Order: sequence, then structure tokens, then C-alpha cells
Amino acid sequence: MGSTRRTLVLFLVLSFGHLLLMSVQVQTRSRMPLLQAAAFGVFAGVQHFTAGLADMGRSFWSNYVALRGVVAENDALQRQVLALEGQVQAQAAIASQTRDLERLLNLQQSLVAPTLAAHVIAGDPAPGAFTITIDRGSADGVEPNMAVIGHAGVIGRVINRPTAHAAQVQLLIGRNAGAGAITERSEAVGFIRGGAGNPPLRMEWVDLLKDVQIGERVLTAGIGGIFPRGFVIGIVERAVKGSGSGIYSDIAVRPAMDFSNIHVVLVILARPARAEGGS
Amino acid sequence: MKVTRVLLTVAAALILQMALARFAVGGRWVFDLVLVGVVYAALRWGPVSGMWAGTLGGLMQDALGSDLVGLGGLAKTVAGLGAGVVGGQFIVARPLARAGMVAGVTVVHRLLIIGLLAVVDQDWSGVSWTAMLIETGLNAVAGLLAFQLTDMVPGAVRQTRDRRRSSLSRRNW
Repeated sequence: MGSTRRTLVLFLVLSFGHLLLMSVQVQTRSRMPLLQAAAFGVFAGVQHFTAGLADMGRSFWSNYVALRGVVAENDALQRQVLALEGQVQAQAAIASQTRDLERLLNLQQSLVAPTLAAHVIAGDPAPGAFTITIDRGSADGVEPNMAVIGHAGVIGRVINRPTAHAAQVQLLIGRNAGAGAITERSEAVGFIRGGAGNPPLRMEWVDLLKDVQIGERVLTAGIGGIFPRGFVIGIVERAVKGSGSGIYSDIAVRPAMDFSNIHVVLVILARPARAEGGS
Repeated sequence: MKVTRVLLTVAAALILQMALARFAVGGRWVFDLVLVGVVYAALRWGPVSGMWAGTLGGLMQDALGSDLVGLGGLAKTVAGLGAGVVGGQFIVARPLARAGMVAGVTVVHRLLIIGLLAVVDQDWSGVSWTAMLIETGLNAVAGLLAFQLTDMVPGAVRQTRDRRRSSLSRRNW
């Protein structure tokens, strides 16, 4: 009887502690930076170690065990490289023409911010949450709110204060993530929000009069100061006019990136002007 | 001793979860090995151990993630207590019963998280039944493996010791 009462009292105390902790964060709208920073700092080393072990296992498997079909894959890749080389040359020609035009029009040439490659060393330990940890931190020049992109498009932004050699990245598909966006063809401006289910991105505040088409690409709008303009976010999958309040279109966007398979990312080392990407 | 075991269980589950979550971010494979560790501690060492494992594991998970600190802690504390109490009332010794227990606690824990998030956000995001089903299945399999492996270890150690002892005695004779 005494033991049951003690268990019950302990349960109540622990539950009350958790509720108190949550209510403090909800009231102040802050996310316990001290506690999270300390925990993140301590575990960054462990994450580096486990990522190294996992990579070693994967590398052993892919370099020694799973080599079947490599010749065919090599052939296909060579053909792909050839095609891509052609594309690169075409792009270089277009870029050269653009530079000439810029010079002719006396325009300031567009600056491309330097980027930094980083490996993903851990995922969010809470299932269904959308953050990753990368192996670059403040020692490499990474700062909070810097944009992170992948080979196919936008991935997210750096959140919290990075440690010397690790940083946490909030994925764009996360519940509290967002970015200013523009559709490529119809030039409809809106706000992309994550955590929308299937597909996971929703474009909000889009003018009803804009003729947004299914299959159109959605790009970063460059407003808000985190994501530079023109990076691919995704493809319009559904577009419903006048839903909700009736004055905006509701647009569902399929992300260009496959978020379940991210190994290497690029951090755009441009200092963010101010936060746009959610909380 | 029990405290050390609980701590080791939570730490191992957390490290494993972090290492594997990297390959499942934003994908279909949803699993929570920390919850499996909590249920393991609750069934092995009782409701108080389950509660402490839940509190520690949940808080660490929250602190390392991006959500509210305390949310997962509260849900896992309830899960640890529930699993411990049910494990004390009924005999949960068979592998399938243990896997079933892990599966049941996973469903309750996920619903609790969704409910708490809805209260905090003042917004109902809905329940993804497919994700819950996958998480339940994967957690149950992980629980089954954890219990089977840890059950097998003492037996294997005893067998090795006996074999060595008998070969030594034969040599002496």
C-alpha cells in the first residue's frame, strides 16, 4: 500500500515537473535554449562517433559486399555524365550571355554566396520530428538561420546556436518551418509552411487571381532574408481556389528533395538578414 | 544497481535511436527505440524504474530535438508507469505478450503526444494511422529482439562457463 502511494506521489511530482517545464516554454515562446544547447553540445560528440560507426558499416557493405551490377551502373552513370556535361556547357553559354547582357545594361552582377558541404550525422531522436544534425558548426562559419540546400532543392535552415563542429537543421517539411515562395510560371507569391500531411508542404496566402497550375515549380522568393531567391522548393500537386476564407488559393506542394535520404547538404554561408522560417 | 541498469538502458536506446533516425528523417520508417527502452525497464524492474526511464529518456529526446522540452518526457513517464503497472498485474513473460505490450504502449504514447501537441498548438493536426501502424510494428519487433537477446545472454554465458569448467575438471582428473 505504501509502495503504491509512493509510486503515485512520484508520478504526480514528475508529471507536474514536465507540465511546468512545458508551460514555461509556451508562455515565453522560447525553447529552453540553455538546456537544449547543453544537451546538444554533450551529444554532438556521441553523434559524430555513431555516425562514423554507421558510415564504416555502410561503406564496408557498399564497397565490398554489394558490388553486383556495378558495371551496368557505371555504364549508365557514364552516359548520364556525358548528358550532364552537355547541359553544363549549355548553362555556361547562357551564363556568359547573361553576364554580357548585365555588362551591356550596366547592372550589378548577381552575387553567389559561398557554400559549405556538410555530412548529416544524426536525425532527430523524437520520431516524426524534422531536424537533422550536420558535422559543421560555428568553427566553420555556420550561424543560426543560415539556409541549407541539397542537390534537388531547399532542405531547411540552421536552428539554435551551433556548437564548434555540429549544427542542428530544421527541415522545411517540419511542423514549425516555413519560407517565402513564388511559383515559377504564374509568379504567385505566398508562404510555404511545413507539417501539412501529404504532401507535406502547403503554400498559403496566394492571391486568388493568380492562375497556379499543377506541376508548376515553386521557388524561394528571397523575401525574409534566409533563403536566397530562386532555389527549388517543390512542385505544385494540388491547387484549390478560394478555400477557407475564400480570398486565397490553397496550394499543396510536393518537396523537390527526398527528405528520407539526405546524407550531404550545402550550407549557404550568407549572413541571414532576419528570421522568416518559422519558430 | 537497478539505477545503473535503467541509465544504461536509456542511454543505449537513445544512442541507437539517434544513429538510426538519421536514415529515416521525414520518411515512412517511424520508430521510437527510447520508448522500447522505457517499456523494457518497466517490465524488467517495475513501474518506478519505468517512470524514471520515461522521464530521463523523454527529456533527453526533447532536449536533443526541436519540440517542446517536457512533451515527450510526460508522455514517456505515463507510458513507463502504465507498462510497469500492467506488467505487475499480469504475467508478461512470453515473447509475444511482451511485443504486444510494446505495441499497445506505442499506440497510447503516440495518441498522448498528438493530444498534448494539439493542446499546446491549439490546432488539431490529425492522426496519421499509417505512420502509427508502422511505428507500432517496428517498435514491437525491436522490443521482441531486445527481450529475446537479453534473455539469451545469461544462458549463453552460463553455458560457456559450464563448458569451460567441465573441460578443466576433466583435465584435473
